[in-house]
Amino acid sequence: MTSTAQDLHPAPTLQPGRTILELNGLEKRYPGTHALKPVHLAFKAGEIHAIVGENGAGKSTLIKLLTGVMPRTSGEVIWEGKPAALATPYEAMALGINAVHQEVVLCRHLTVAANMFLGEEESRFGLLQQRAMVKEAQKIIDGLGFDLPAHVVLGDLTIGQQQLIAAARATVRGTKFLIFDEPTAYLTRKEADQLFKLIRRLKGEGVTIIYISHRMEEVFELADRVSVLRDGTLVGTRNIAETDEPELVKLMINRSIEQIYHKEHFTPGATIVETRNLSGKGFENVSVTVRAGEIIGLYGLIGAGRSEFVTTLYGRHKKSAGQIFWQGKEVQVNSEHDAIRLGMALAPESRRDQGLCLNLPVGMNLNLPIYKRISSNLLISGAKEKVEADRQIADLRIKTPTRNALASSLSGGNQQKIVIGKWLAHGAKLFIFDEPTVGVDVGTKAEIYRLFSTLLSKGAGIILISSYLPEVYELADTLHVFRRGKLVATHGFRTASHEDILGQALAEKQEKSGGQK
Amino acid sequence: MSTEAIPAEKPKRNFNALFGLTLLGLLLLMWIVLAFATPSFATALNITNLLRQGSLIAILAVGQTFVIITGGIDLSVGAIVGFTTVIVALLINAGWPIWAAVFVTLLVGVAIGLFHGFGIVKMGLPPFIITLATMTSLRGIGLLMTNGNSISINSDPFQAFSRGSLAGIPYLFWMVILVAVPSYIFLHHTRWGRYLFSVGSNAEAARLSGVNVPRTIYMAYVLSGLLAAFVGVLLASRIGIGNPTQGDTYELQAIASSVIGGTSLFGAIGSVHGPLIGSFILSTINNGANLLNVNTFWQRVITGALIIVIVYFDGLRRRGK
Repeated sequence: MTSTAQDLHPAPTLQPGRTILELNGLEKRYPGTHALKPVHLAFKAGEIHAIVGENGAGKSTLIKLLTGVMPRTSGEVIWEGKPAALATPYEAMALGINAVHQEVVLCRHLTVAANMFLGEEESRFGLLQQRAMVKEAQKIIDGLGFDLPAHVVLGDLTIGQQQLIAAARATVRGTKFLIFDEPTAYLTRKEADQLFKLIRRLKGEGVTIIYISHRMEEVFELADRVSVLRDGTLVGTRNIAETDEPELVKLMINRSIEQIYHKEHFTPGATIVETRNLSGKGFENVSVTVRAGEIIGLYGLIGAGRSEFVTTLYGRHKKSAGQIFWQGKEVQVNSEHDAIRLGMALAPESRRDQGLCLNLPVGMNLNLPIYKRISSNLLISGAKEKVEADRQIADLRIKTPTRNALASSLSGGNQQKIVIGKWLAHGAKLFIFDEPTVGVDVGTKAEIYRLFSTLLSKGAGIILISSYLPEVYELADTLHVFRRGKLVATHGFRTASHEDILGQALAEKQEKSGGQK
Repeated sequence: MSTEAIPAEKPKRNFNALFGLTLLGLLLLMWIVLAFATPSFATALNITNLLRQGSLIAILAVGQTFVIITGGIDLSVGAIVGFTTVIVALLINAGWPIWAAVFVTLLVGVAIGLFHGFGIVKMGLPPFIITLATMTSLRGIGLLMTNGNSISINSDPFQAFSRGSLAGIPYLFWMVILVAVPSYIFLHHTRWGRYLFSVGSNAEAARLSGVNVPRTIYMAYVLSGLLAAFVGVLLASRIGIGNPTQGDTYELQAIASSVIGGTSLFGAIGSVHGPLIGSFILSTINNGANLLNVNTFWQRVITGALIIVIVYFDGLRRRGK
């Protein structure tokens, strides 16, 4: 079926392919919000169709409707010429619609092979053919060029590797229509390249790909067409060859790209923290100085030792050698508690796991670090609690109905603002941000960067860890490059080229770097 | 990264097997020590007695494990045991053939399990709450039905079953094997067993994979209820009466056996052989303490302390990997 479609339409982008799925006024309302306003859009067999938009623009809603996770309010979905109800995930899968989600949605206690075949196990006389499935899974993984074992327990792999398994898994179920939701958020460059290879191969086999990403360069690298959502409305669809990044960003946020990386330069003040030859698990001999009013960027691949360095500085792990000086005096940081008391604040990488109490109200999350201050003796001052929470919600421009809404009900970007913002009230001197904008849209990114400036203007210093080069490049006053646990290079603000920095982070010859810069 | 993952695999698996062995080793060690410490332990009479004592909890522990693997808990099994002794006693005394009485009693267990599934899936109640409610109510219903009296069972063949043995091994222990072997195959070698693990590990992932999560939950509680009713029948046979207050604290012993046997209360980790060994460790502690003339009050303290020690070392092992 798919091969005939290709034969008929060998030319790639502009030649319209056979329509495989058509949205006919697809709409979703929740009580109080209109998450997706009627969408009309036709996907062609074998195209890579990117969908971009800010958080809350309706992308997730669209995915959930297409994968049968949630019922639609009205409208039609036409699948291969026939209306499809898409009432359950099972129905969507049976048609050949599958999704790879941003956060890995697999069972980490089961083996890789068991996950690949979950729901579609091979059995004979009611007994699982476990060995056959492991073999089969390994064949698929090898065939995709992923260097991963099929017999290990999924939880033993890194998040990036798990994401690759999730992708591999989605390809083996008679999939004709595959949705990728921010698949590269937690991937290293090499893993991302492997994933792109997989995506192109699927396209070659006639599979239709929906690719959702905040990373514009990926959209331009992969997609044939791109659709833009804003506030639940489809505001435009373009052939990739006929558009450019500024146009897409403008469609997405009605704001120009220069306004996103908002960088103010401050005159550096006194030294806040200095490490001398600090070593610990996963990194060695790192000497870094942070002064008031400056951003120190730590760039490198995931696993290069950046996170280990900051968590050791923050007292979570024991250092094995070296010294830490806080405002000129040598200090021992033996626990997070010590670090917080000195005046450090850490916004961790995984906001859901480490940074937020999802099932507690927004206000309580914001006040968590300062309950000591807003309590008199034993009792919390209810009035102060309210005032503090509301002030922070306003300062940080957190979009929430009230301070009593649960943190879990907020969008990813707004959750991130809580994680970062709760330390503002605490009055920390040194802020450590570990991947602060993973999975966050352009608009929220701009707001987060503006927060950075606010912090700097108050005399704080920032350590910014990012795997996203443009971010550290545009923001860091000093940029340190990490590779395999060592600090391998240091640059000033915008003094090195992207290629040089990338080269230093990778060092080994990088087989044709996928992204052009 | 992947190069790290591969070598890590082998020793871990050995470690797991080792842990299974250590539990078994612990059990054997206790037996050897008791055999030397008391003259009466290593007698045929005592061993068959020990096997009979341990069997009932062992079967309950297997059912409990299915539920715990899904991330739930079944507090009602002790009450189901007591309640079903009454049901089977009433039916037999009403002149039903034994097979029919037993069959209907097992159906009662299934029905209770279905009710639990309904409460969790349809009413959205936490497993702890719905099974806690059943635990209290069933005892009450049993007491209402019997007016608080015990019902003597007028059937010798029914009672003879619990005293009989085959090849020197009590029938009751054969029942453990009858339950354990299919359970093992079910849990580790069928898709339904795998779905239990997947629901306990990540219900959302299971759902998105097309696994029928509600049905899987129903299945776990039905199996637990069924096995509890089965134990009720065996207990009725053993004591010759139907009494709703029987099986007191069995649920806690079953949970303890399961946890000693390596089941994680957070779900997704568990086996069939672990809880079996766990239950016999518990009964050996009781049996041995009796033979050693340890004050029965102390027995409880020792049991509690041992649960902490064993599960703590299990936790160490897990973190060790």
